[in-house]
Amino acid sequence: MSHETYLFSRMDREDTHTLKGYEAQGGYQAFKKILSEGTSPTDVTGIVKDSGLRGRGGAGFPTGLKWSFMPDPTKDSRTRYMAVNADESEPGTCKDRILMERDPHGLLEGCMIAAWAMGLAGIYIYVRGEYRLSYARLDEAIQEARAAGLIGKNIMGSDFSCEVQMHKGAGAYICGEETGLMESLEGKRGHPRPKPPFPAGFGLWGQPTTVNNVESIFNVPFILERGSDWFKTMGTEKSPGNFLCGVSGHVEKPGVYEIALGTPASTILNEYAGGVWRGRELRAWIPGGSSTGFLRPEVIDTPMDHDSVKAVGSMFGTGAMIILDQTASVVRSALVLMNFYEHESCGQCSQCREGTEWLAQVFQRIHDGHGRMEDIDLLTDIANGMAPGKTICALADAAAIPTHSVIRNFRDELVEYVQEGGHAAVSKKRSLPLEVV
Amino acid sequence: MIDSGKQPEIKRVEITVNGKTVQARTDKPLIHACLQAESEVPHYCYHPGLSPVGSCRICQVEVQQGKMPARVMVACRTPVAAGMVVDTESKGAHDSRKECLEFLLKNHPLDCPICDKAGECTLQDYSFAEGQGEGRSVEPRRKLEKRKDLGDVIMLDQERCILCSRCVRFMEEVPETPQLCVAGRGSHSIIETWNNQPLSGNYQGNLADVCPVGALTLKSFRFKARVWNLTKTASSCGECSRGCSTTVEVLRAGEIVRIRPRHDEEVNKWWMCDTGRFALDHFSEVDRLVGACMPSATRGWDQFPVEDGLQVAADMLMAAEKPLIVASPWLTVEEGTELLTLGRQLNGRVAFVSPAQNELADDLLHTGDPAPNRRGLTDLGFEALSPEEILSAASEHSSILCIGERVASLLGEDGFNSLPSATRVLLFDCALPAAQEVGNSPIDLAIGLATSAERAGHWVNIDGIRRPILQARPAPTGVWNTVRLLQNLLGLLATREIQS
Ligand SMILES: Cc1cc2nc3c(=O)[nH]c(=O)nc-3n(C[C@H](O)[C@H](O)[C@H](O)COP(=O)(O)O)c2cc1C
Ligand code: SF4
Ligand code: SF4
Ligand code: FES
Repeated sequence: MSHETYLFSRMDREDTHTLKGYEAQGGYQAFKKILSEGTSPTDVTGIVKDSGLRGRGGAGFPTGLKWSFMPDPTKDSRTRYMAVNADESEPGTCKDRILMERDPHGLLEGCMIAAWAMGLAGIYIYVRGEYRLSYARLDEAIQEARAAGLIGKNIMGSDFSCEVQMHKGAGAYICGEETGLMESLEGKRGHPRPKPPFPAGFGLWGQPTTVNNVESIFNVPFILERGSDWFKTMGTEKSPGNFLCGVSGHVEKPGVYEIALGTPASTILNEYAGGVWRGRELRAWIPGGSSTGFLRPEVIDTPMDHDSVKAVGSMFGTGAMIILDQTASVVRSALVLMNFYEHESCGQCSQCREGTEWLAQVFQRIHDGHGRMEDIDLLTDIANGMAPGKTICALADAAAIPTHSVIRNFRDELVEYVQEGGHAAVSKKRSLPLEVV
Repeated sequence: MIDSGKQPEIKRVEITVNGKTVQARTDKPLIHACLQAESEVPHYCYHPGLSPVGSCRICQVEVQQGKMPARVMVACRTPVAAGMVVDTESKGAHDSRKECLEFLLKNHPLDCPICDKAGECTLQDYSFAEGQGEGRSVEPRRKLEKRKDLGDVIMLDQERCILCSRCVRFMEEVPETPQLCVAGRGSHSIIETWNNQPLSGNYQGNLADVCPVGALTLKSFRFKARVWNLTKTASSCGECSRGCSTTVEVLRAGEIVRIRPRHDEEVNKWWMCDTGRFALDHFSEVDRLVGACMPSATRGWDQFPVEDGLQVAADMLMAAEKPLIVASPWLTVEEGTELLTLGRQLNGRVAFVSPAQNELADDLLHTGDPAPNRRGLTDLGFEALSPEEILSAASEHSSILCIGERVASLLGEDGFNSLPSATRVLLFDCALPAAQEVGNSPIDLAIGLATSAERAGHWVNIDGIRRPILQARPAPTGVWNTVRLLQNLLGLLATREIQS
């Protein structure tokens, strides 16, 4: 498979993470050009909008459109912020990390273009706590960029100023939800806020705020430099561009690959990730991070773009594929996920607080061989009580969707667990003879 | 600070709730308009006096706006917009609430039979109204602390808690003394005090009112009564000149077991301080002054009925040149009016005891002025005299009539006992001051009065707002209503005047 790549275009050089290395590869040119030519903020937003770039944080919301929701600065003089979501905690997702570790200036350039487009006074980068190298590299990059006059007061001698600050998360998935993230930045518990009001009207400290994912912002300098038409030559009409696909699980070559949107999942699995490991069969796969649910092998040819994945009853999410081989158990995997969501629910909403626990308990019983046939309908009802749109944030949905997917796509396995006495019995049947590797 | 009266301009838009047209305030969430239209919308985390967080998710109603299809949404976080059509009874809304209740009850201990909140618990009420008969969970219920002592006032039962966070927000937003928090996360969330410190402050009792379930209960009310056996009477608190509107709750036999704040937008909103809430001893029937009494050299206190006491009082007062009439600031406007007539009749000097500010004053409700009807009596024309001024004036008068609830204690025990022996002392009060022994007591005649829970009338609070006190329980036998007492005394004086 060969196709145009840009996100990873600078990965080969050892010193890409330094200002010198980044500038040697044409870095900051897009931003400097905008600043020196005085391209109007609305034009910059317009180009991003026209490119059709969709957010890579999970929901796939058009980035340019999101920027345009920020109130007109001539009518609303409040201080504006952006929060870059680098909390990357969705199980299976590990793409933002690579960008921050290897190419932090690329993210910063995107940030500064966003700052210009939205008239931002400050940008916060909320980095997942465990990402120590990402944090260190970004920290160095910010210092270098500040010293070079690219960040801070009077950028490049203009009267445009914008500060960039980092914040370390403390290990809560919910702080990756955009309003939980803002609460956390404000020094409070990461309790998502009900919407409305939306961040563009009432965000950080009540000021207009945009929250974007690292990869979304990382795309921006390329779009500005090469134009929105170029961007649209890649990917699909509704989901243009490339995306970073983290492939994990039972594959030969797990990793993060730069893929054109719309590439079939089977191509990614077989041609990039080396296929299901040890030549085994595929039992199930998750298309876009744990919240998107389990799909059957029959739909592995689904193109990886927002609409196509939706058409098979799932979501593109963060584009992080998780592969389960024939020996794996969907029920057990679902239990692991439910334990995760139970652990990570912030606990505000009744349905989510109680529902995530309940789902985990029911899956645990089924797993342990104490399942009842009526539990299958009960799981459906619990999940229906939690989502869609019944709670403050989408974490409840993130637990409900995989639950529904198990019932819809792997009911046979649930029945098998109930009838045959749980995981001990089922896994015995599935185990393969020991291989000498 | 409770800002009474002056409010920013309120904007309203027209919406429809269950077919009724409502002028809905735009500064309030939709639930406010629904409740205003007398439509029942279950709610837990929403409290009209606290910021809305929209977390319990029970207040689901169906809303149709513009051309959009009708959607079920939480009423407490939905802003109102002109033309909204709201259905609180739609099937979708009921189903959502029913679902939500099942989640809320999943770990609830269901110990209503031993819960003080039973009968006024909205979890119980809404489960009865909307829930399904039986929960479908077969999982073990969460085991948490059932008796967590949060200090002098409040007991916490973590198992009953539905994590609505009202208590946390109350502490943060009303007395502005944040002390409670949600500790832990998700299904491991619990309510705790910071560092497990006991709660402090003069507003803790409100926690038991804001808690929609039996998680936060008053220690003083624990296992005291089943709430359906309480008779509730609207009244006002007399512990300071704020005069918070209250409900006085009386158990069958007549014991006042609880006083709670009653919503009053101008005076106290939904709150009251603990000083007022727990001023129950004052209403006790023990050690009350009943009927009338006089010291007798041989027999100690001579007891006799009020009728006879009034005869003696009339004689004593008629004999005085210019009696000093000292009222308690607990007298109602009605009683004050009668007393002024009496004063005129006797050509007396009429004043009320104006006690010194106490240290209980705060920025919220307590004014630190233990004189509930200061404003009412002042407006009537009473002179305000400090206890010291009264004591020093007493020697200039041959008789002094001290009248009203707590009047002796407001003068100070020592002060009262040091009233000059040359001055005739008539005390009309609810109880005798402590340790009144014949020979040492300055009292020449005492007549028992009804407390403010046993009579009706009005007080005017510090801001000039007139509020009723109503009779919550009967006065002990042999104790007259103060107005009746004064009118009788006036009658006796009039008869005597004519006779002389
Ligand atoms: C429970 C939960 C966790 C989330 N975690 C992340 C995260 O770790 N990183 C991220 O970029 N977005 C995360 N999101 C999505 C964000 O809320 C938000 O949609 C996203 O950051 C917007 O960026 P984008 O428009 O650039 O995609 C999460 C959402 C939910 C509901
Ligand atoms: S849905 Fe769950 S995680 Fe999201 S706000 Fe509600 S309780 Fe918290
Ligand atoms: S203790 Fe009561 S008020 Fe506080 S969160 Fe629990 S249920 Fe709500
Ligand atoms: S009352 Fe509206 S969500 Fe709790």
